[in-house]
This record gives sequence, C-alpha cells and structure tokens, in this order.
Amino acid sequence: MWEQILPGLRIKIFMTVVLGVGYPLLMTGISQVVFPRQANGSLIKAGDKVIGSELIGQSFSKPEYFHGRPSSAGGGYDATASSGSNLGPTSAKLVHGTTKMDDKKNEVVDFDGINLRIVHYCLDNDIAYESSVPLDQFKDAKGELDEVKLIKAFNDDKAPLVFTPKAPIPADAVTASASGLDPQISPDSAHMQTARVAKARGIPADQANQLVAQFTEGPDLGLLGEPRVNVLKLNLALDQQFPVKK
Amino acid sequence: MTSIGVLQIAIFLGLILVCAKPLGGYMARVFEGQRTFMHPVLRWLEVLTYKAVGVKEDVEQRWTHYAASLLSFSIFAFIFTYGLQRLQGILPFNPQHFGAGQVTPDLAFNTSVSFTTNTNWQSYSGESTLSYFVQMAGLTVQNFLSAAAGISVAVALIRGFARQEKKTIGNFWVDVTRATVYVLLPISILAGLLYVSQGAVQNLKPYTEVTTVEGAKQVIAQGPVASQEAIKQLGTNGGGFFNANSAHPFENPTPISNLLAMFLIFVIPGALTYTFGKMVGDTRQGWAIFAAFSVMFLIGVFVCYHFEQAGNPILANLGLQTNASSGQSGGNMEGKEVRFGIANSALFTTVTTDASCGAVNNMHDSLTPLAGLVPIFNMMTGEVIFGGTGAGLYGILLYCILAVFIAGLMVGRTPEYLGKKIEQKEVKMAMLAVIATAFSILVFTALSSVIHFPEKGYWNSPGNPTANLSNTGPHGFGEILYAYDSGTANNGSAFGGLNANTPWFNTTIGLAMNMGRFLFLLPLLAVAGSLAAKKKIPSTAGTFPTHGPLFVGLLVGTVLIVGALTFFPALSLGPIVEHYLMHDGKLFSMILLPASSSIWGIWS
Repeated sequence: MWEQILPGLRIKIFMTVVLGVGYPLLMTGISQVVFPRQANGSLIKAGDKVIGSELIGQSFSKPEYFHGRPSSAGGGYDATASSGSNLGPTSAKLVHGTTKMDDKKNEVVDFDGINLRIVHYCLDNDIAYESSVPLDQFKDAKGELDEVKLIKAFNDDKAPLVFTPKAPIPADAVTASASGLDPQISPDSAHMQTARVAKARGIPADQANQLVAQFTEGPDLGLLGEPRVNVLKLNLALDQQFPVKK
Repeated sequence: MTSIGVLQIAIFLGLILVCAKPLGGYMARVFEGQRTFMHPVLRWLEVLTYKAVGVKEDVEQRWTHYAASLLSFSIFAFIFTYGLQRLQGILPFNPQHFGAGQVTPDLAFNTSVSFTTNTNWQSYSGESTLSYFVQMAGLTVQNFLSAAAGISVAVALIRGFARQEKKTIGNFWVDVTRATVYVLLPISILAGLLYVSQGAVQNLKPYTEVTTVEGAKQVIAQGPVASQEAIKQLGTNGGGFFNANSAHPFENPTPISNLLAMFLIFVIPGALTYTFGKMVGDTRQGWAIFAAFSVMFLIGVFVCYHFEQAGNPILANLGLQTNASSGQSGGNMEGKEVRFGIANSALFTTVTTDASCGAVNNMHDSLTPLAGLVPIFNMMTGEVIFGGTGAGLYGILLYCILAVFIAGLMVGRTPEYLGKKIEQKEVKMAMLAVIATAFSILVFTALSSVIHFPEKGYWNSPGNPTANLSNTGPHGFGEILYAYDSGTANNGSAFGGLNANTPWFNTTIGLAMNMGRFLFLLPLLAVAGSLAAKKKIPSTAGTFPTHGPLFVGLLVGTVLIVGALTFFPALSLGPIVEHYLMHDGKLFSMILLPASSSIWGIWS
C-alpha cells in the first residue's frame, strides 16, 4: 500500500525543487544575460525615465497623437488588469452602451458601446456621416456631446437614433482588443487618423502618411500574422520629427 | 477567408505532420527504456529522480497499482498546490505582497483541482492574485506533472494493446519521470528562450511604474512568464500567467510566438500517434489516427474561420468593415488582437480546444455564435482531436474501441482492434467514460441554469448563478454550458464573461474537472490491464482493417455522432439559436432579473 503512496509525496517534493525553482530560475538567468531587453518588458526610456513598453498599449486621447483601440483592461490600458470586454455578438451593451448612477446620483456612462465609438471616430477624424437626428440636439450648454443622452437615444426601443458613417470604419478601430493592452492598430485605422494628427501638428497630411507607412510592420516573415502599426512607437517618432508647436 | 490565412493554416498542420515521426519515434524509444541521443545529457537527472523517489526502474505494475500510483500522485499534487496558495503571504518571491485574502479556500480548491487535472481553468486573474512563488513552485510544476501523467496513461494503454498475456502495464513513476525529463523539460527550455527572444518577459521584479506619453501613470505587471508559457502550451495546460492569457502581449508578443504556441500545443499529441504505431508494431495504425485527427481539425478550423471572417451583421450595419483588405483584417474584431487578426485567432481557438489546452489568444466569449460553437463542440468530444498530451491519444483509443464495436454489430462479428478481442469489459468501460463526461457537462449546466440562491449568501453572493453572467439570452446560457464543458473536458478556456469566482462555481466546476479526468482515465487503465492479459489473435481475411480510409471515416463518424447525439439539444439552446437571432438583428439587454426568472433575458 505505502509502496504506491509514498513515492507520490517524494516525487512532488523533488519535482517542486527541480521544476518549480530550478527551471524558472535557470530560465530567468539565461534570459537576463542573452535577452535582457525583452526579458524585462521591452521598456522604452526617455532619458532615464521609463515611459512605457513597446508591447503594452497606452491611452492616447489628444488630437496630435494617433489613438489606440478601445480597451477593457481596468479603466482602459490598465496593465495590471488585462481583459477583453467578454461581450457576445448579441449584447445590447456592446452595441448601444449602458449608463449607470454614480455616488452623487448623477447618470453617467457605464459602457460606451460601439455606436458611440463610431460617433466619436467620425467626429474626431472628419468622416462624413448621416444621423437620423441631428447631433446638435445632443449637445450640452458648452457645445459638447452629451454621451448619456446619446446612449439613451441609441437604446430607445421605439425610435432609436441611427448613425451611419459614409466611409466604412476599420473593425479594429471601434472594438475592444482581447487583452485590453493591444499595442497596435491596423494600417487603415492609422491612415484614417492622419488628417487630424497632421492638422494638430501643422504639417501636411502626406508627411504623417509617410510616417505611418514607415511604421507599418508585418506580416512577419512575409507570411505570419497581420500588417499593423505600433501606436506608441509611431507617436514617439511624431514627437521627435514634428514636435507640437506651443 | 484570405489565401494568406488559409496558407498559414496549411503551414501549421504541415509542421505538426513533419515532426510526428521524429518526435514520435524518439518517445517510443524513451518509454521502452532504450537509449536516445538525449541520454548522455539527461540520464543523470532520471537516475537522481528514481533515487529521490525511491523507485526501482525495472519493476512493473499491474493496472490497479498503476492507477493507485496515479491517484497518490494527484492527491499530493492537490495538497501542495492548495497549501502554497493559502500560504503565499509568508513565502518568498512575492513583490506585490499578495496573501491568503486574494485566495479564498474555495478558489484555492478550484485552482488546485484545475492544475492537478491538467485543466487550468482559472477563476482568478493571475496578475492581481498570485505571487511569483506560487506561479513557479505551485503552477509551473503542475504544468509539467499533470501533462506527464497524461502521457503516462496513454503509454500504459498502448502497452495494453502491444503486449499479450502479461499482467503488468509499466511503472507509473518511471513513465512520469521519463516524460518529464526526456520530453517536456528539454523542449520547454528551448521554447521558453524562443518566447523571450520574441518579447515574453522573464524576471522576478516588482511591477514597473511608468509615466505615459500623455502623462498618465501606468503600472506594468511583470514576472517569470516565458518559463511557464512554454510548458503551458507544450503540456496542453493553458493556464495563463496573466488574466488575458495568450492574448497578453507579454505572453504572446508576435505572430511568430503565436505560431510557436500552437505548434507546442499540437506537437506531442500529433507525435504520440506515431509512438502508438511504433509500439504496437504497425505505424499505419498510428497514421490512421493522425488522419482522423486532421480531418476533424480541418472541419473545425474552417467553420470557425468562415464565421469569424463573415463577422457580426449587426455591427456591419452600423458601418464597420467586415471584408478583409491589405490594410485591416475585417471580420469580428471584438476581443481580438490586431497582430493576430481573424485567421490566427480562429486557428488558435480551434487548436486550443481540439487539444485540451485552453490558452486563448482571443476572447471566446466575443466569438460569433457558430464560431463559438466550434470550441464548445471540440470539448464535448472529450478532447479527442489531437487532444491533450497523452489524453488525446487515450481518448481517441476509446473511440477506436467504440468504432470497431459498432462495426462489429453491423456485421455480427466479435470486434477486434490490433488483434485484441474487444469484449464486454472493454465496451462497458469505454461507455462509462463517455457517459460520465456527458453527465458532468449536462447536469451541472442544467443545475446552474435553474438553481436559486439568496443574494449576498455564502454560495453565490450575486444571487442566482445566472446573475454571474455578462450576457443574457442564449449567449448567457452558452457561458454556463462552456464553463462545465471546459471543466469536464479538462480544457480550461472560458467564455470569460461568467464570473466564476464564487463558492458555487468554484466547487461545481472543481467537481466537473475531477469527474472529467478520473472517470475517464481510470476506466481506460482498467481496459489497459484487461487488454494486456489477452492473447493476440492473428488477422484473417475476415478481420476489419483499422488502418485504411474506411476506418478513418468510421472513427470520425463515431466521434461526431456520439457528440452530436448527446449534446445537440444543449447546443441548439445556445449558439445555434443565437446565430439565427443575430441575423435577425436581435439584441439582449443586461437588465437585472427578478429572483424568480430564468436566464432568458429581456428581448429588446
């Protein structure tokens, strides 16, 4: 009886030492010597300050920068809480968004939804659109879009707001990535943003387009994966070559 | 579908095919105790293990002793993994200071069962729950050992077919040691370094604080990721270091690491078919199984790819581009990474659920309905399309027994497989395994769909289990079905919208994982013992050949028909009806339901 049982205990202890301590420490040792940059997260530094990792996306919202994809990681690009939206294809929340009451009983946006993202994408990038109700009716006193009102209009059962862009929107531009940390966007999505970025920096759109083309990578080995543009690296190159005039 | 996408699928399967013979032949030598080219490098570790464990290399076991050893191995694995998690607060390598507060007893139970049964279902998210020490000494170790146990059982079953009039089927401790030392460890070291070269992290540092370009603060999680990543795929474990698993750029940084991941998942299951053929003395038998695997794999991958590229018509109506072009992937990009696009996401989804891996590079919960049906169905077959390391082979051998039994019924002859008469005991044991898994999936799913719990109670604080869903309507039902399917099949991937970290789900999914592992594996060891004792009968003109296309067709048919007959009603309530509703433009709102209502949400 013990003949069958005791080896179970002994092998567990022995293997914990070999595979649980020896193997990962050996791998850490080799990696730190052979691939120190990758093993520590492919960090990008400006001077001696770390400003990010080329593999981990970060939030961009200013007009002079290219914007990454919508993110469901924590409050957006939270690299301690990687996650997708986990919303299915027939989720009303995914398509139309949801609102909630905050602590002060004000109605605020809970989840923006793809409809609202398309609205922002069109307005940000000057893409022509048709709207069943003029968007001016959803603006507040300051002239800014009231997102809560818009989400409610999209969710209206009887006469929902219908907003249709006149140019097709690249699917990755308004959908959340799987990790919430996707560092890249599709080349099409980058090119649709060049006019805005160029205008904000006071340069011809052609120059921004050239930079996007220069930063377009993949498929790897000419075959694997998809063509893509790393948003952080592209934005850093922009800042270097065409700094924003202050 | 794009031609470059199809080409990538072909290249992937080609790689697996090319490696089947060399690796399979190598494994046959390893498990028959012959010298290989790795012995000069690794024999010392094998010998040292036997000494430390107190095992004699040349003493074999009967099936009952083999099974008892396996159970002892699993029980200690469970106790250790449980203890390490609960004690992580006082153990080293814990820069984020996680403690027992992050790991409740029910969560620790679930995670321990999960990593003991080679499932790697995760109710927690790694970066906010577990210390580096638990990830390494607890989980990385189990990634190796549970996979080695699977390979051992497969090898024992092969011996059952290969031997005659023998009472023993090998020695469990020797098989586990050889699988670990000669197969899993060396490949993991190589693959781990390849991962790091692509950008997977491998360090023991605290999380990095950065100030982003726009001036925000971002904390970047770190850890010994690559070492775990390699064995996670190679051992078809699938438990991610981070919550987003292989979608996380630090686990799967590039399309090259993505191909490596999929290669590691399939390479051992593919090669074991050759090992099988070699050990039973007729490699054609192994290739027939490889062919059956490939047919079922290709059906799944093209169904999944087709529906993902077609995308979601509701979103297309809003103005999203669904056709692929040179500048973007089109299709259904919700829950996908740009670098993988549609083709590599659909391929990964099929691979990880064909094999009992469960790593994900895209979020399965956001798949279009019929693309999501592919992983669900793959798991329902019991993971017999390449399958888990070892588990795939012993699973398909069970279906081989059923296939020759069905063929035998049709012609009225006693069925035989590889010269062994398939009799009452073998068929009973095979059916026990099939019924146990179906029971676990369907009964737990049904129970969770209808059971009532008070809000804020112990078992399920959100209230009824249906309150744990992120989606309502048929998709919500799919989330529950997926969970028990994944647990029972020892897969571990999830429709992640289900909040499964409550005592109810942790306990029931834990039970499902145990049923799926041990009620499948123990009957098969009994079959191995019974077969090893039988005489081989020479084949005659009346023997049904089990290496030709006819047998491959019969085998594929058996798998698909058993799966379809058992699960069609459940599938039609979930993904199938959702597909039609999606094309009808129906959406389901997340309205909190009164306690008495069911998952059928509010139509909007």
